[in-house]
Order: sequence, then structure tokens, then C-alpha cells
Amino acid sequence: MPRNPWYDKWYKILFIVPLTLTIFAIVYLGMFFSNTGDFMYKDTTLAGGTTITLHGDISQDQINELQTNFPDLIVRKLADVRSGKPIASIIETAVSPEELQPELESVLGYNLTDDNSSVEFSGPTLGQGFYKQLIIALIIAFILMSIVIFFLFRTIVPSLAIIFAAFSDILIPLSIVNYFGIKLSAAGISAFLMLIGYAVDTNILLTTRAIRNRENTLNERIFRAFKTGIFMTGTAILAVLPAFFLITGLPDSFKQIFFILILGLVADLSNTWLMNAGIIKLYATKKEIR
Amino acid sequence: MRIKLGFRVWILIIALFLALLMVSPRLDSGVMITSIEQNSSAYEEGLRQGMRIKSVNGMQIKELEDYSDAIHSIFPVENKTKLIINTDKREFILYTDESPRMSVGKIPRTRIKTGLDLQGGSRALVKPEVDLSLGEIQDLIAVTSNRLNVFGISDVTVRPVTDLSGNNFMLVEVAGATTADLKELVAKQGKFEAKIGNDTVFIGGEKDITDVCRTNAECSRIEGCYETGNGGYFCRFSFTVYLSETAAERHAEITRTLGVNTTEQGRYLEKNLDLYLDDNLVDTLLISENLKGRVTTQISISGSDTGATREEALENTKESMHKLQTILITGSLPYKLEIVKLDSISPILGKEFTKNLISLALVVFILISVILFVRYRKIKITLSVILTMFSEAFITLGIAALIRWNLDAPSIAGIIAGMGTGVNDQIVILDESISSTSISIRERIKRALFIILGAFFTTVMAMIPLFWAGAGLLRGFALTTIIGISVGILITRPAFAEIIRKMQE
Repeated sequence: MPRNPWYDKWYKILFIVPLTLTIFAIVYLGMFFSNTGDFMYKDTTLAGGTTITLHGDISQDQINELQTNFPDLIVRKLADVRSGKPIASIIETAVSPEELQPELESVLGYNLTDDNSSVEFSGPTLGQGFYKQLIIALIIAFILMSIVIFFLFRTIVPSLAIIFAAFSDILIPLSIVNYFGIKLSAAGISAFLMLIGYAVDTNILLTTRAIRNRENTLNERIFRAFKTGIFMTGTAILAVLPAFFLITGLPDSFKQIFFILILGLVADLSNTWLMNAGIIKLYATKKEIR
Repeated sequence: MRIKLGFRVWILIIALFLALLMVSPRLDSGVMITSIEQNSSAYEEGLRQGMRIKSVNGMQIKELEDYSDAIHSIFPVENKTKLIINTDKREFILYTDESPRMSVGKIPRTRIKTGLDLQGGSRALVKPEVDLSLGEIQDLIAVTSNRLNVFGISDVTVRPVTDLSGNNFMLVEVAGATTADLKELVAKQGKFEAKIGNDTVFIGGEKDITDVCRTNAECSRIEGCYETGNGGYFCRFSFTVYLSETAAERHAEITRTLGVNTTEQGRYLEKNLDLYLDDNLVDTLLISENLKGRVTTQISISGSDTGATREEALENTKESMHKLQTILITGSLPYKLEIVKLDSISPILGKEFTKNLISLALVVFILISVILFVRYRKIKITLSVILTMFSEAFITLGIAALIRWNLDAPSIAGIIAGMGTGVNDQIVILDESISSTSISIRERIKRALFIILGAFFTTVMAMIPLFWAGAGLLRGFALTTIIGISVGILITRPAFAEIIRKMQE
């Protein structure tokens, strides 16, 4: 039987890492909320406004010119990583397409047609409605997930540990996204919903192996779950990475979903294996599950 | 080595076969009618959107060019000429002096439908300014679809959507129309007029039309179906329209001076009642002789439609009747509509995105294969994981095609997320089954399935609220994720577990 004095000695200390990260995320989000009055930056699908996607490039001078009339206007560019060729420029502002389009056409020097651009507009009330509903959806999803977890394990402490990990899996990516000033779209919020379902997988794996199974030692079971879990999460992260380094010309909604999933999965690595594994070990030791 | 296939593997094979049927890759040649103008001779003969043209006057049509070559070789002509159009349904014979007023396109290669953000087009989310009941929303949708059809816009989906707060919206999606068209069509209120010659008898809305009998079989019915001379069938319908006093008097005034024609079907006034929607003629009705000069607030409107079989004729007639009724009752809507979201997606950008999504899927497949091979060092295991992953995605696509789901970017993200969960689950099965413990392989796989089931239910629960949040615009993400992981749980995972068990034994 391999013993693991290192883990036995350190597992309580390892708690500190995810706990600090989570507390830091909560504090950051609290500050963010008191500064902006909201929990995230919202894009035009959630705040209302216009997004024009040009099938081509726009120069910095042209952007500056537009910004004199529309100070809130921002531009993001999609480029093909391999050739460096610009695929699309995404222009966002809170005004309506009727106001933006003529200005943009005069700055660009050509007319916007179906062939060279996409125009998306959301009314401000609709956007706010979407936002509110997606947040409600997020809360409902979280509650439903918690019920399933309690039903699966029927024990308080391990279930709470999983739910706390899922909670932190959402908060940490959200603070990072906010820190980078990324404006979240409706699709982006749905990624957080996905995260709720996706990130608890490794926690379920860990809890099942550690406290439902009884062969070998507890440490061994945790370590085996760790090996499987790390590989699972690692595969998932690696599978999503090409969307950022190889094939970059994907719909924006798509990339945002993937970006949030990656952040969540990374956060989950720390939450599951540094914190949750420790909680499970403590719990199992107290309950004398060996 | 020979492996006997267990029944779970057979289920997987059958599911794959069914999915193939659903996606049904089409290899036949020809062109498809993408839109057809109503009131054109081609439409009246029975040609419809979606039919596939095989030949024109004996000239074989294999691709778009063949069709335009054929049409150009026949038209323009001086006099009415015979045009034989052979389609996948049947043969149509037209006598016409102009080329058929319809547009054709390539036959889609599969039954998978892609959403607006991948194929391009416009979308409007429309909110009535008053709260409407579900029935009223259905009427609004019928009116809007009719109007879009009258304008010859093809490939339209108009459907009701309800969000989490109980708001009702109408979602209009049109492939290949600009937002300007859509805006004008949706925002402008439908104007309905019934005219005899140049005189307006009544207009749509409550002022002239007090009611239209629609659901009561006493005053709204199919009168019967009959065989036509050339093997087809036609059915007749009639329903009652209740006019206001003023409209009835107007009708009497206008018809008083009209003469009477005697036809095979009976005796009718010399002029017809023409129905116009937004100044487009949508229908022409004969006026029975006994209505001449009478002040009547109850008029019976009748008509007919045809079909190749009795059932088809009946179906078409019901549809025509329903259409006419909706035009009459809600020709102009009693409330204003507000466009709360209006998007147009460039088809060129959509094409670019689709291309990139396919490359991404390929790269992900290869990447995962490599990772799995590095970890397990067994080509057979790697292959079975990849095969399972592929099966899952393919069966999900098959189900999407079956329920005619439009695959948009969020739906595809959902498929990929489902595949990710699938790979994770298979890793759990693999690790559990190769663990060198004293427990039987059956027991180990049972344990793996507990973990997988837990993961399945948490994901389903997390996705359910998305069906309603945000007017259901992200429903695709939830739907494909749930389909994908359900296919995994029910079909591919058991088959995979069986394969692995066989390998271990």
C-alpha cells in the first residue's frame, strides 16, 4: 500500500489556494458591483444597441473618426491566425442602426450590403429583459443542480462541498472576464450554465470514488480519481484551445462560450483537487471511511 | 480476432443507420423551387415551393445552369406555348407565354438545416404593443406568414416565442431578405380591400367585417370533393362573412347595376369580387346571382382548391380556406407591432463561419485522438472513443434533422459541448475498467455508470432553464446539448462500455 505522507501533511494547507481565489473573486465582484452597479459588462444583445460585423478591415483612423460621434463605440477584429488575414471587424455601440449605418458608410467610403456586413440590433428593454431572465435561468440551473447532487450523495458535507465548488467555478471566471473588460453576450451567459453542468463532473467522480467505493486506501482512491479527473479536464481544455490559436474565424458567440468554459475548467481544477479533495478527506477521516 | 457484437452495439448500429436516414444525404440531380409567386399560372397548376424539377419539355435538368438554359431556349415566345415540367411529385403542364414566375435553387444535399447565423438572412423579434393570448398570437402569425408569402418571400419561418416572464413574441426569420424589407413588411399594417371592379366594397378590420365564421361547422365547411376530368381532384369550401350595415349597403349599391353570366357552375354576376392584400391581388371570387342588389350582412364566400389525390385536394382546400379567413378577419391588425430585435447576417460571413466550424471539428477530433493514444497507448481504445464521439455527434445531427431544427452557432456549440461530455464519460469508463482491483469488470463499469448518470442529470438540469430564458433564442444550445448527452447515456455509452468489457475479458 503506497502511503502518501506528503498529502496527509499538506492537504489542509492546500485549501488556502482555492479559498483565497474564491474570496478574492467575491471581493473583486463586490467592488465591481459597487463601481458599475452590475455584475458584468454587457454587450449589445444584453444592454441594447447595434453590432455591425464588417466582412473586412477598418483602420484605426476610421475608428477614431467614428468615436468622435459615438464615444461608446468599440471595435474588435477577427483574424485568421495562420494567414493573419482579417476576417471580420465587429463594431458595437448603444445607438440604433439607423444612426450608425450612414456614419459608418461615409467613414468607410462604401455602402453596407448583405454581402459585406451583418447588422444586429437589440432594443434596450428587450436586452434588459434577456439579461434578467438569463440571470434567473442561472439561479434556477444552480438550484436544480444542487438538488441532483443532494439526491445523488444524500450526505450534507460532500454535497455542500460540490455545490460550493460549482459556485466558485462560476465566480472565478466571471471576475476574470470582468477584469479583462470583456462584454458578455447572451451566449456567454449560457456558457456559465453549461459550466454548472460540466464542472461538477469531476467533483462527482471524486466524491463517488472516495466515499462510495471502499477498496484500497482513501488516499489511493482520491489519487486515482485525481488522475482520471485531471485527464478529463485536460482533454476538454486542449480540445477547446484550437478555437483560439488555430481556427480563429468563428462566430463571436461561439468563442465567448469556449473562453468561459476554459476559465471555468481551470478554476475547477483548483476547486476540485485542492479544496474538494481535502474536504472529502477530512470528512471521510471523521466518518472513519478508509 | 473476432468479437461477437452484443445487443447494445447493435442498438448503436441501428441508431446510426436511422440517423443516416434522417440526415438522408441526397445525391439526385435537379433543381429545387425556392419560391413561387402566387396567382401565377405555375402556382395555379399546383407547382409549389420545395418541389424538385427533373426536366422541362423533355430537357433534363441536372443543375441550375440547365434550368436557365432550358427556360431561355423556350422564352420569350409570341403565343401561349405548352410547357411540361416534370418534378419529383408529378408532371405539370402549363400553357403560358412567359417564363414561370418562380425562382429555383440547388437541392440541399442533406436534410440538416442551418440557422440564420450560418446561412445568412434576416430575423426580427416582434412584440405586439398589447398583451395577446396564444390564439391571437396564432392569428398574427398566420396573417404575417400570408403577407410574406404574398410578397413572394420564400424560406420564411414565423413562430411564436414565449419567454420566462410570460411575454409573447413573434419571431420572423427569412433567409435571403434584407432587414429593410423585413422591417417594412412587419411594421406596416396589412391593408385588406375587397373590390368589385374599381369600387371598394369592404376593407379589413372590425369596421366593415364584424365577424368571420371559422370554427363553427355550420357556417364554415368543406362542401365536398370531386374528381376532375384529368385524374386529379378538387374540393369546394364555403364560409360566412358578417358585414356591417354600411358595408352591406355599399355592396348592394355596387352590385345593383351588374349583369349576370351563366356558367357551367351556375349563374354569377359579370364582375368578380377581388381581394387585395397590401394592393396585391390575392384571390378572386365569383358573386352568386341572388346577391345582386341585396342589402345583406351575411355573405357566403366559397372557393376551391385542387390536388393530385383526394387527400391532397382536401388538405389544400382546408389551407386555402383558412388563409382566406385569416386575411378577412385580421387583414389589418387592431394593434401596433414593435420590432424589438432586428438582425441581418451576411451570407458570406455565414459561409466563412461554417467553413471554420468544420475545420475546428476536424482539428478537435484529431487532437483528442492523439491525446487518448498518448494516454492509453492502444489504437483499439482510441478508435472506439473516437467512433463513439463521432456516433454521438452524428446521431444528434440526425435527431436535429428529424425535428427540423435549425442549427445555429449556439446549437453547434451545444453539439461540441455534448461531445466533450461524451469523451469525459468514456475516460471515466476506461479508467474504471482498467483499474487493477479485485472487483469484477461488471461492477467497475456499474460504478462508472453511476458517475456518468450523475454528470448527465446535473447537465440536463443546468440546461433546462435556457429553453425559455431570452425568448428562446439560445434554445438551440440547450437542445443540442441535452440531445447529445441523452444519446450518449442511452445509446453510445452502453455500447462503448460493452466494447471495452469485451476487450478486457
